[in-house]
Amino acid sequence: MIPFQFITAFLMVAIGIYAFLYKRNLLKLVLALDIIDSGIHLLLVSLGYRMELKEPPTAPIYTGYETLKSAMVGPLPQALVLTSIVIGVCVLSLAVALTINAYRHYGTLDVRALRRLRG
Amino acid sequence: MNGEAILPYIIIIPLFGAFSMPIVSLAGRKAREAWAVLISALTLVVASALFYHVWDTKEIIVYTLGAKTPFGQGVDFPIRIVWEVDLLGAIMVLTVAFVSFMAILYSIGYMKHDTGLEKYYTLILILELGMLGIAITGDLFNFYVFLEIMSIASYALVAFRNDTWEGIEAGIKYMFVGSIASSFVLLGIALLYGQYGTLTMGYMAIKILENPTVTAKVALALFIAGLLFKSGASPVHMWLADAHPAAPSSISAMLSGLVIKIGGIYAMARILFSIYSPLANKILEAYNQPYINMGAIGWVIIIFACLTLIIGNAMAVIQTDMKRLLAYSSVGQIGYILLGLGIGLAAYGTQTGEVALAGAIYHTVNHALMKALLFLVAGAVIHEVGTRNLNELSGLAKTMPKTTFAFLIGAAAIVGTPPLNGFASKWLIYESSAVFNPVLGAIAIIGTAFCTAAYVRVLYTFFGRPSERIANAEDPETSMMLPMLLLVLAIVVMGLFPWQISDKVMIPAARMLEQFKFEYIQALISLAGGA
Repeated sequence: MIPFQFITAFLMVAIGIYAFLYKRNLLKLVLALDIIDSGIHLLLVSLGYRMELKEPPTAPIYTGYETLKSAMVGPLPQALVLTSIVIGVCVLSLAVALTINAYRHYGTLDVRALRRLRG
Repeated sequence: MNGEAILPYIIIIPLFGAFSMPIVSLAGRKAREAWAVLISALTLVVASALFYHVWDTKEIIVYTLGAKTPFGQGVDFPIRIVWEVDLLGAIMVLTVAFVSFMAILYSIGYMKHDTGLEKYYTLILILELGMLGIAITGDLFNFYVFLEIMSIASYALVAFRNDTWEGIEAGIKYMFVGSIASSFVLLGIALLYGQYGTLTMGYMAIKILENPTVTAKVALALFIAGLLFKSGASPVHMWLADAHPAAPSSISAMLSGLVIKIGGIYAMARILFSIYSPLANKILEAYNQPYINMGAIGWVIIIFACLTLIIGNAMAVIQTDMKRLLAYSSVGQIGYILLGLGIGLAAYGTQTGEVALAGAIYHTVNHALMKALLFLVAGAVIHEVGTRNLNELSGLAKTMPKTTFAFLIGAAAIVGTPPLNGFASKWLIYESSAVFNPVLGAIAIIGTAFCTAAYVRVLYTFFGRPSERIANAEDPETSMMLPMLLLVLAIVVMGLFPWQISDKVMIPAARMLEQFKFEYIQALISLAGGA
């Protein structure tokens, strides 16, 4: 059986791609990018989840490891997601900055107005 | 000389240079320009040393971040981030460092009238850093990080002149397409990590061979989709034609010359040949084991390549905007490189495949030089005349003779005229495609016919009757002429020794890439003995 987190993750990616293709507002497109990214982050994080001894896993912190009853989640996906979130914030801030500039030049957030480049 | 000792400096120098730039530029504009040139020159020196070392020893450099070996304590598989440089990576490093140096040198004169230049030089060094990182990395997630560093810097640089609508519109288009493509690549990496539990490319290759699952195939499809977006292949080339002309010309030279190749073609070659190895899949097929049909993947790439090279070159003919023409021509040339790559994959294991792959690598380097030169010339024209509309540029040869000469050399090289460097690489691609399948050879020749028509049109304009618009134009200052002349020199010198370069550098690089997997893994495993 496919775990429900994976289904949720792919659903989020699908919603993001749908919004990206069919929405016309620049800010909604920025949100669509973020939703796709979040879906992938959810997928990555849930890869590190493992049930052992019928106990939910704990955070990967080594202090007091001997007394733990359960497993620890995989630390590598968390490191990856942390890096990826930082990159995502970077892209997001750049996107919003460009959107503000586009609003100054075009007076609208409609992506259909951004069609002056032709040739 | 120890290759592993110098490898980290290829990242350290531009990183340090980029983030110390705002502090250095407090000392004034002279200090800022000197610092940018110094940093990129140092990077070029390190890159040359690296290239010479790899070419001389024919060995793959493996460098582990933060430890002596990539293997953790008590485990027998690599857990640390590794950088691995083979000959193809070293060629890319040298090309990136050289063209970036030229672009930065050119920026001194070209960007003189702009403001916010400390940000400009910071971003251009970060762009160079991201590309160098992609060329040397041997770890999938590290590759993604460098890809994003490169992409974010290039989005920001396309929209650098944010007081014009053109830069903003092009920047937004580029950013949305590029981010979607990056998301595809990240999703592919996440799927592979979930399936195989490793991120090291060499070790991933072994894991995929042991158990080629559907997940691996889906991930491959996502990689190819994302990287075709990034390289500007045909059905999704629209962003390229908007973004490359809108950027400042020195940036256009880097985008068209380097970014689409490192972030698209090189990354694709690395994933196709190093992670999904065609050779091992052939062996698996022979033994009736489950395998991934890399020949079919090669054909998919060939189909995209044919579309790209026809549409790109044909669209270049009808442009009236000089930089847009060059951008469409870039799309067309990417088609040739993809054709070489696709044939290298589809005809894997034969002489034809090897020659095609060598041609693709050779054309990548040549096109980086030629297109950088052409965009720098376009920048000089914009700088002097203030327009890039071809209808207003008639007779430029009278007032800007040196610039026109540089354009003549670049155009002749990109069309493939024999004494220049474009001839040899295009010849390798024509030859191998005609041997592999005559129809593909014919398509490649038709593409070149369109390409010739486009450039002849520009030259016809330049040598035509002088219009009053260009009466006051003259050749630009030395800091802008020098990079152009150096690129002309590089093109002519590379054109004088085409087959020596092909036999000594490009064919070994193709061979190293084809057999990369085994050497790559061996280079990794040999470190285990020392652990």
